Amino acid sequence: MNNAITIANVRKKYRQKKMLVSVLTHLFMISLSMIFLVPILWMFSTAIKSRWDIFLWPPEFFPKVWQWVNFRDVFTRVPMLRFIGNTFFIIVIKTIGELLAVPLIAYGFARLRFPGKNALFMLVISTMMIPLQTKLIPLYSMYVRIGLIDTYWPLILPAFSGTPFFIFLLIQYMKTMPRDLDDAAKIDGLGTFGILYRILLPLCIPALTIIVTYTFLWTWNEFLQPLIYLNTYEKFTIQMGLEMFKGIWSVEWNLLMAATLATMAPVLIMYFFAQKRLIGGIASVGMKG
Amino acid sequence: MKKDTMKLALVLALMVCLVGSLFAAGQKEGAVAAAPKEVVTLEWWTWDSEEYDEASQRAMVKEFEKTHPYIKINMVLLPTKGFETKMTTALGAGVGGPDVAFFSVASWYPKALVLDDLIARDKFDIGMYYKGFWDTKTQFNGKTIGLPLGVGSSLVMFNKDLFDAAGVAYPTNSWTTTEYLEIAKKVANPAKKIWGAEILTRPFRAIWYNYGPNARLYSPDSKTVEGYLNSPESLAAYEWFYDLMRSGATPTVSDMSTLSTENTGPIDLFMANRLAMATLNQGHMLNAVKAGKNFGVVREPGVGDNPRHVNAWSLLVGIWEGTQHPEEAWTFLKWYVGPEGQKFLMDNANLFPSIDAVGKQYKDADKDYVKAFLEILNDTQVAIWRGAHPSGTKVEASITDLWDKIKLGLITKAQIKAELDALVPKAQSVLDEAKKTLIY
Repeated sequence: MNNAITIANVRKKYRQKKMLVSVLTHLFMISLSMIFLVPILWMFSTAIKSRWDIFLWPPEFFPKVWQWVNFRDVFTRVPMLRFIGNTFFIIVIKTIGELLAVPLIAYGFARLRFPGKNALFMLVISTMMIPLQTKLIPLYSMYVRIGLIDTYWPLILPAFSGTPFFIFLLIQYMKTMPRDLDDAAKIDGLGTFGILYRILLPLCIPALTIIVTYTFLWTWNEFLQPLIYLNTYEKFTIQMGLEMFKGIWSVEWNLLMAATLATMAPVLIMYFFAQKRLIGGIASVGMKG
Repeated sequence: MKKDTMKLALVLALMVCLVGSLFAAGQKEGAVAAAPKEVVTLEWWTWDSEEYDEASQRAMVKEFEKTHPYIKINMVLLPTKGFETKMTTALGAGVGGPDVAFFSVASWYPKALVLDDLIARDKFDIGMYYKGFWDTKTQFNGKTIGLPLGVGSSLVMFNKDLFDAAGVAYPTNSWTTTEYLEIAKKVANPAKKIWGAEILTRPFRAIWYNYGPNARLYSPDSKTVEGYLNSPESLAAYEWFYDLMRSGATPTVSDMSTLSTENTGPIDLFMANRLAMATLNQGHMLNAVKAGKNFGVVREPGVGDNPRHVNAWSLLVGIWEGTQHPEEAWTFLKWYVGPEGQKFLMDNANLFPSIDAVGKQYKDADKDYVKAFLEILNDTQVAIWRGAHPSGTKVEASITDLWDKIKLGLITKAQIKAELDALVPKAQSVLDEAKKTLIY
């Protein structure tokens, strides 16, 4: 009897201890997440204030009158929906370009043997070291001469020859896959493209997810290249739209924050969808790479 | 048969010649009579601001195109932050530049089309512009490289509500740097986080010039730093700044960097009733008007009876030297920055024109803030000295350490003289080097 009580007590204490640890852990995590959320909450607070109330003292987290109208103004002051649409268009085409080019190039470097492979690989990788700013003037000059300024081509075309970082990523990922897979596929009658598209690529989904996600994020946040290559207002991208709230003499912080919040939504949605694969992908690429 | 064929060929040849000559004659006659003029599209790069927003600029383009059917304007509205990058890239590439644009950065001046011949040919009246702005803003290397759009200047805006609450009299245009300091202290209310004045960002703006002719970076002949940078007048200016920083009437350096927006002045703090006085400009003034702020405008404080200076500017609009359509670009430029365009932007937006005759018709010319602003523009322009001393920026950059030391309280007031003396050799060396690289 005593023994039974003791075991029950021990179990109870164990459960209580477990629950306590769980509650404390959750409280800690929630507190930590609140710290990370403060900038976003502050952004929201600024977005619902009137223009000149942002720097009041003492600061107000919630204004007396919530200016929901700011969110409407964001879309009426500049054609923000159009800018979002333009950005999505570029993202879709660029993603297609990357997904077509990167696996082909990476496969060549990871699996095929040809003279000068290492030198060529170093050449591809070395392009990662050249900052965009140093290439901007020659690139601009080239695109002007071939008549592509004020079109989306300068933003899209490079994706069809693959981004060096993605090529490197996928090469490293493919290198970790046993060559026995290729041999088995060859025995089964598959050619080079068959091995790539039917055997290797389905196993590269985590790495491809990273490519898609980063293409999305980098294109979404890109300001410099659209600025340089686009002239027509209606063709502008989201980041150029956000910059329109920064005037020469003052910044409309409330509208800028409202616009930023509104345009964060697609990025968050993208993250929620890709979250599982992305984290798994980065971890596995990290291990394999 | 053979003869008939030859006759037929001859007749046909004659007919061809006849029709051909008639066609050619007709074509020549038509060419002389009414050659249809080809429509030319110009690219105009601009940004929007408090003085000329997007809508008013687009409306102005339509107005121009109404009277100039053979010129179409492709208005490229750029974010202000990106304008410099894009313009520098295009000018650097030497292709794909705008036909007409703001030439707001000095390093772009060599890429602007020289307008003197066009001005002389069309007898374009340059006398209509305020002389000070024409002289300081449109000339490069002795040549005219653009026309001045609008006028602007630094000015001190004061919050009347805060002054009333503190029971302090409003400043007037005749105020001095000493009064500025006293007023800033009186109107500040540290308990409520209200500051009297902001930290001034850089040396050698209007206030320093007001300390006297020797309160300069170097001599008028651009040869000597000694006796100017460390002159008694310069020392007095620096000591005044020291007193302001130690007065408790200004925000701290960290307050300013946290609470103000880069490159836009302390407008946010002023509008939030946290700065009683702030050195701002006409664009900020228009924001305050729009927000219904109870404010006044005065010029920057002076020193005794010394001549008063103003940090004023006009925006240089020029034609890119690589334009394919210089004639049409000139037609647009002289309309846009001439009386028609500036009046349009004044009436439909808030531009303060650089043309006296147009400025007199300003819609709010009777308002106190407009009168005060226009009066300030009569002071001697800082840009006159700056324009004549292109090495000034580099020399100024070499001495900003002292400015920071004063702001951060790293030296005492008594040490300023020694610091200035110690900076002279460095500034002299920078001046000597800078002069060698000038393209003048």
